[in-house]
Amino acid sequence: MITQQTELFLHGQGARPRPILAASNETLRETLVRSGIIREGGNEILVFVGECQEALAEADTVEDGADAQEPVDINLTIEVLEIERYRHVHCHTCRHVATEITFNGQTKRHKFSPSTTVATVTQWAKKKFRLDPDAATDYVLEICGTTDKPRADKHLGELVKSGTCNLCFTIVTEINPQG
Amino acid sequence: METPDQRLFDEDVASVEFRLGAEKGRWGLPAPELISEFEWPKRLLWIAGAPRTGAPDRFYIAMDASGYRGVPPTGNFWDPATKSPLDVKRRPKGKSGSRVAKVFRTDWNNAAFYHPYDRVAADSHKKEWAPGAKDDPRRRWTPDHTIVDYLEEFYSLLNCGDYIGI
Repeated sequence: MITQQTELFLHGQGARPRPILAASNETLRETLVRSGIIREGGNEILVFVGECQEALAEADTVEDGADAQEPVDINLTIEVLEIERYRHVHCHTCRHVATEITFNGQTKRHKFSPSTTVATVTQWAKKKFRLDPDAATDYVLEICGTTDKPRADKHLGELVKSGTCNLCFTIVTEINPQG
Repeated sequence: METPDQRLFDEDVASVEFRLGAEKGRWGLPAPELISEFEWPKRLLWIAGAPRTGAPDRFYIAMDASGYRGVPPTGNFWDPATKSPLDVKRRPKGKSGSRVAKVFRTDWNNAAFYHPYDRVAADSHKKEWAPGAKDDPRRRWTPDHTIVDYLEEFYSLLNCGDYIGI
């Protein structure tokens, strides 16, 4: 019997994603043990599959909302978890990333799944602050107290510092290069 | 022999982040026959542009990536048909005063982008674009940045409402 191989992208805290091949009939636990993410018998990590966009469906009136995306059971197989479809596997110690976003002295909060991209958070924030959705390059997220503007494809789980489960952003306007 | 900067560049082009952008049609490597002349530190990549009447759906960028990632690449639009820099008349334009117009300006240095992610622009604006300076763009290249940051930045400019075509 031919076992189908699936390429998945492993995301972790403070690390760049890396590709790994997994057999469709092996469990996600076996894949993660083989890749050194968890130890045999270890169960201390939360694993999310896909990229969470739940926050985009949240009503504008909701304050301090939270994503409902649940960690998966890593004892299920790659096939059952539909990894071929979702491709991204996020291994994290945080159930949520408590995120605070400030714009013009106002702050909005949401507990995002670690599998949420900066692009999704930006879109959510623009909606919450009622910013022009067409001004795509004008407003970007900057990590508080820095000039770091994380790329749109980064996941919150990659940005969180070890030992913490929160992030703080300010919405800033891109500055035209001049001088 | 492969140099450290070339090895880093090639690793980043093979990275998950680069591949995902390529799969989404945002950027990519041109056909092999177009890149045969691009020996390190020269490289040719393309970035997709939003549909605009009379404009191509992708722009090629010829760059010099020597010193990568310690310093950013420098480059500008390329015409694979003529194998020369793209005629300024056929370069992407932005609404007057917009960031697109500033970055892709053709009245400054037609071989580089007017952006802190371009080595020539960054080097010639060290004082003006220094942290805290009056014209600090609050964006700067660090050794943690990769070619994907470069591509994502210029892709976003070529796909925003201020990009008006060529």
